[in-house]
Amino acid sequence: MQSRLDYFVPEGSYWPILGSVGMAAMLGGFASSLHGNTAGTVSMILGFGIIIFMVFGWIGQVINESETGTYNLQVDKSFRIGMGWFIFSEVMFFAAFFGALFYARTLSVPWLGGDGNNLYTGEVLWPEFKSVWPLIQMPDSTNFTVPKGIIEAWHIPALNTLTLLTSGATLTYAHWSLMNKNRIGLIGGLIATIILGVIFLGLQVAEYMEAYQHLDLKLTSGIYGSTFFMLTGFHGLHVTLGTIMLIVILMRAIRGHFREDRHFGFEAVAWYWHFVDVVWLGLFIVVYWL
Amino acid sequence: MNYIILLFFIFIIYSLGSALYYMMNDSGGGSKRMVKALTIRVAVSIALFVFVLFSFWMGWIKPAGVA
Amino acid sequence: MSTTTTDLQNEIDAIEGSHISHNDHHHGPEKGLMRWVKTTNHKDIGTLYIWFAFTMLLIGGAMAMVIRAELFQPGLQLVEPQFFNQMTTLHGLIMVFGAIMPAFVGLANWQIPLMIGAKDMALPRMNNWSFWILPFAGAMLLSTMFMQGGGPAFGWTFYAPLSTTFAPASTDYFIFAIHMLGFSSIMGAINVIATIMNMRAPDMKLMDMPLFVWTWFITAFLLIAAMPVLAGAVTMMLTDRNFGTSFFDAAGGGDPVLFQHIFWFFGHPEVYIMILPAFGIVSQIIPTFARKPLFGYSSMVYATASIALLSFVVWGHHMFLAGMPIGGQLYFMYATILISVPTGVKVFNWVTTMWRGSMSFETPMLWAVAFVILFTIGGFSGLMLGIAPADIQYQDTYFVVAHFHYVLVTGALFSIIAAVFYWLPKWCGRMYNEKLAKIHFWWAIISVNVLFFPQHFLGLAGMPRRIPDYSLQFADFNMISSIGGFAFGASFILLTYIIVDCIRNGEPVKDARVWESAKGLEWTVPTPAPYHTFDKPPSKELILAESSHIHVEGVH
Repeated sequence: MQSRLDYFVPEGSYWPILGSVGMAAMLGGFASSLHGNTAGTVSMILGFGIIIFMVFGWIGQVINESETGTYNLQVDKSFRIGMGWFIFSEVMFFAAFFGALFYARTLSVPWLGGDGNNLYTGEVLWPEFKSVWPLIQMPDSTNFTVPKGIIEAWHIPALNTLTLLTSGATLTYAHWSLMNKNRIGLIGGLIATIILGVIFLGLQVAEYMEAYQHLDLKLTSGIYGSTFFMLTGFHGLHVTLGTIMLIVILMRAIRGHFREDRHFGFEAVAWYWHFVDVVWLGLFIVVYWL
Repeated sequence: MNYIILLFFIFIIYSLGSALYYMMNDSGGGSKRMVKALTIRVAVSIALFVFVLFSFWMGWIKPAGVA
Repeated sequence: MSTTTTDLQNEIDAIEGSHISHNDHHHGPEKGLMRWVKTTNHKDIGTLYIWFAFTMLLIGGAMAMVIRAELFQPGLQLVEPQFFNQMTTLHGLIMVFGAIMPAFVGLANWQIPLMIGAKDMALPRMNNWSFWILPFAGAMLLSTMFMQGGGPAFGWTFYAPLSTTFAPASTDYFIFAIHMLGFSSIMGAINVIATIMNMRAPDMKLMDMPLFVWTWFITAFLLIAAMPVLAGAVTMMLTDRNFGTSFFDAAGGGDPVLFQHIFWFFGHPEVYIMILPAFGIVSQIIPTFARKPLFGYSSMVYATASIALLSFVVWGHHMFLAGMPIGGQLYFMYATILISVPTGVKVFNWVTTMWRGSMSFETPMLWAVAFVILFTIGGFSGLMLGIAPADIQYQDTYFVVAHFHYVLVTGALFSIIAAVFYWLPKWCGRMYNEKLAKIHFWWAIISVNVLFFPQHFLGLAGMPRRIPDYSLQFADFNMISSIGGFAFGASFILLTYIIVDCIRNGEPVKDARVWESAKGLEWTVPTPAPYHTFDKPPSKELILAESSHIHVEGVH
């Protein structure tokens, strides 16, 4: 290990404060636009732009520092630990939504139907209500949309699973190529992964359109629609982020960044992609099948 | 049935988790532990997918649907 | 014996000397305001955190004064009930997310690198961002008060449907403020973990770490596990409010109790997030002024870890009356009571550390001893609340208010005050006015008990919390409590004076070891602590000799 004297403590930076301004503008603007304020929408878009600028500027500076050899192995390790624990926080974020789904399916919906010691709940509140999953007929659908059906696991979701699993395989191929100093394989594998990611997103959009236009399955379709769109939507957001990060990695690979023994940026993004892939597999089985 | 799928899942999460562990601990030196763990995780995931399809074909499980 | 001592003294001298001779190597702090905006220095960021927390403490305290003034006498006295509800809500949110948590992160920023012999935090730029999100989030939270329909008025726990169907428009700003605060906390926690795992002096083993570092290590884990769940809860609130989902609406198949489950799955670890670092602080201070190594160091570490693990499986004790199956109530009750075992281990260890010690009672020690006694009272009332059948009586009464104020004010806040008095001379190189500080201590300690102890009686007699008016039989205790409250509030004016006076005109301190029997690497760097410390990691011998828990024969 290199001397600890070399641990890189950066000079002051404007990126963080810029990020804070962008974040406040974006979220404050979003809240304000929710109440019909056009200035809020403008502020939201502006804030989003600032954040994009900040992320690229900041990450760009980090990549630059990394490529010019500013970081020693200890700095590298800090990034690794940071990434690892960030992923853990993501897992817990997903866990909140999965938890909501499990709670609704196994506890609150049956209870509304009078299960357990809630016989009287069922009798008094909505005596007509029958507890089934997927929940189509809500206890009281006055304020909600009753869907005509749900997305069949067989159609787009199965195709999407296949797409993401294949992308996991191509990414692993790129990873092995990197380890074996096969540049062409690395770049080719990354391109294939990105294309598959984009296909996945496209199919997901098609699925949402199908749900909204033909099935009347919407965010407003009671707890089924809520959990369905929250989980898949949140996952889709992560796929989008992952695809963008893969594109950055691809650009770097084309420029000749990464060595077979030193490629943390690649590893972090690759792991993120595998993580998103596994979450999808969980979604596929829990949301569409069981 | 559910237990078999759960078993698959535990295995997938284990290999994914060990890849994360290797990523955090093998800085530098070209260790291949991470990529190996990820390869296992892709292989098992595909196996699970094939297994779900096979079970459907055999009629062991049914997709969620409006009864 | 003599060789060891001399060698170590030489090393300490060398550490001190290096800061004098190599000064030109380092960039000192930048000049002007931009120093604070751009800074990546852990000491600067720690200072920012602590001042931010102090500001929020005063704002939240002012809100508490409004609450106590309204409750001074029965009947609606000063403010509208709706405004009263905003005060209780914002007081809670600001104290939890704006004062206590940032204060602990500030202490972690200042102390952890100094205590583990590290140059700085592991991810300095991210460290800056963690702080600089806070003023924006805090401003967004406070701005809700001035919006149409008023600020959030549903209690700091923001239960659905009060926070969804029946909440004012400003709630959406509140939601995003929570998102930002959570983001900041997660980044701060990641930084703490990376620092402790990666920046520790190479010869410092995990079980050589001072207890403040240990407790923060475990707290950071709790933060990373709990804060995203809160973010998930407020996200579902947001979609329920604006996009027609029905997570918390039974008419659509959801359940308002689901909100409580998710909230308390975050909320219970959160209360340990606010107390574990306090345990760490007290475990640093008591050995110093009892002049004995900490008793039962390893049991302290294991107790902290067990408390942290248990904190994830007891959340249901906040919901005994929310309609929980009887089996759930029993489980959550037993799991909750189980936490008293590791907590008891800690209290016994502190008492045993003091046992036959050669004690002296400088201000930090006074606060630490007060912590041990008063936190234990809060712990006992917690046990009472944890018993499911008894909780039917206590639920949502002033007994709960008394309980968590004993834990959070005389627990968390007192430990922060203790820490500031303990380390302030090291930070700024000046000593506070001991006489004034003692006067302040006794003033605060008496008034805080006058403020909160009668609330136990009020609660047992059945006075509900979050109510601006009350029946006549509660009048006397409420008045006593309010008088205590005003006195306690006023004590912070004196505290502000003592701290500002110390920083500006305090008597200069020259000794690296500000307290004669203090142990720890932070006491080997010069006083005041230079802008950059520990460019060279301390040696194994020095680490062991400075350990506050392993008694090394013959080494001072």
